[in-house]
Amino acid sequence: MIKLQHVSKIYDDIKALDSIDLEIGEGELIILKGVSGSGKSTILSLIAGLLKPTSGDVLVEDKHISKLPDHFCSRYRRDNIGFIFQKYNLIPTLSVRDNILLPLVPLNLDEKALHVKLHSVMKMFDIEHKKDVRVKSLSGGEQQRTAIARANVNNPKIILADEPTANLDEKLSCEFIQILKELKTLNKTIIVATHDPLFFDLDFVDRIVEIHNGKLLCS
Amino acid sequence: MTPEVITIDILNLLFAFFATFAFYYSVKILYRYDRNATTPLQYNLEKQSYLVSVVIKFIFYTKVLLFIFFIFTLDDISNILPGAMCGAGVVNATQYGTYLLILKVINLYIFAYWLALNSEDMKSEQQIYLQLKLKVYLFAYFLLMLEIGLESLMFLSIDTKSVVDCCGSIFSTTDGTYMARLLGMNPIILLGSFYALFTCIVVAYRVRNRYLFSLMNLLFVIVALVSLISFFGTYIYELPTHHCPFCLLQKDYNYIGYLLYIFLFVGTFFGIVIGVISFKKEEEKSKYKVSLFFTTLYVLLVSYYPLAYFLKNGVWL
Repeated sequence: MIKLQHVSKIYDDIKALDSIDLEIGEGELIILKGVSGSGKSTILSLIAGLLKPTSGDVLVEDKHISKLPDHFCSRYRRDNIGFIFQKYNLIPTLSVRDNILLPLVPLNLDEKALHVKLHSVMKMFDIEHKKDVRVKSLSGGEQQRTAIARANVNNPKIILADEPTANLDEKLSCEFIQILKELKTLNKTIIVATHDPLFFDLDFVDRIVEIHNGKLLCS
Repeated sequence: MTPEVITIDILNLLFAFFATFAFYYSVKILYRYDRNATTPLQYNLEKQSYLVSVVIKFIFYTKVLLFIFFIFTLDDISNILPGAMCGAGVVNATQYGTYLLILKVINLYIFAYWLALNSEDMKSEQQIYLQLKLKVYLFAYFLLMLEIGLESLMFLSIDTKSVVDCCGSIFSTTDGTYMARLLGMNPIILLGSFYALFTCIVVAYRVRNRYLFSLMNLLFVIVALVSLISFFGTYIYELPTHHCPFCLLQKDYNYIGYLLYIFLFVGTFFGIVIGVISFKKEEEKSKYKVSLFFTTLYVLLVSYYPLAYFLKNGVWL
């Protein structure tokens, strides 16, 4: 489903990725393991079409994502990608409901369709009781559930999570892992970039890929 | 040097600078671009192609809009040229004016064609028109620079102390020149061609033949301009000897010329472009409609004047 072929990424003089090759199948759950600055987030950004490689090719379902013009990348992200950021990237002054609905704005859906999608994800991620509360008043765990609900409201095929437990305590991290397990059962392709050891011994993870200085060490 | 001329000169300097920058990168992209390559060079060229397209788009959009400003400037300068009654006197005041005006009208269509091509290219994931639009730009660049050169020469050569011809003598039908013969054409033949071509446009629209529609629009713009100067204009002025295409733009005639030229150029442009670019069905349909709408408005507006004159006076001019 996802293929990275000889992908390199250079920021000014820093080589973030060095000719890496990686294939991820449909429904797979992959952990990208590595220290800060190893290139994990760059891989996620390349798959999401947020960045273009310096060289090499990124394919998702045989579509050359790295060759797409920027406005088509936005459309591809809207239709295929759910992104969970380390700091959630929620809008603090908006309610939970409005934050979750944000990715649907460009789709111009009617109220009924919006309600169905909203209700479904809020129920799935247990955040319905807080739907009218402003995000800045939520706890860390609730903010994260909101972020996950927002990432899933489009029903994307691919979920990318960048250091999702970096701001959570162990209990909340375990909660997130449970959510991840549920998402896996929905046959979504999930890639988690993390250096949190909690993810390294999970039985439902298909593969752990280690990155060091922009190179894949083991897969 | 009037404020309008200074504005045009400053803008021309900016256009020349950015157009040359875009020209350099267009040549580079055309030589080295390989859609299938995944090298650093190719990714750089893809970024540059986007930047170049944006630069050209802004130049051409501004140039298209500035055409109206140019016509307004000609009309404005006529106030300081002895003998000139309207923009026609200014155009005829130097040897460059007529060539510049013809080139500006041609460029108007070429720039608009490039903008339509670019718009289609941006809608395609594969950027199917990238090579073509850059090649068209290389050609358009020379026309743009020629236009800028001619425009500067024209404004620099205008001598405000020399007496120039007024539009009455420039567009006279009695002096035996090609212009006089064209303007003196039999109105029945001219009007027959005008309305026959408009009917062909409607028929081509009904049968959805885009090539026929495009060709008829191309012919229509020529016949429409000749018939406006030769026949319809005289009814707008209510004077059988007045054939000037510029006086229509003046306040005395309610600036009706601006409306007429906008209807004609917009209508025929969308009509012509249907034949040279393959649009998706929905877009083609909307372009047919826009073209036909503006062309019909032009025909209705221009036909109103002789009819109104006849109804009011009971005679034709």
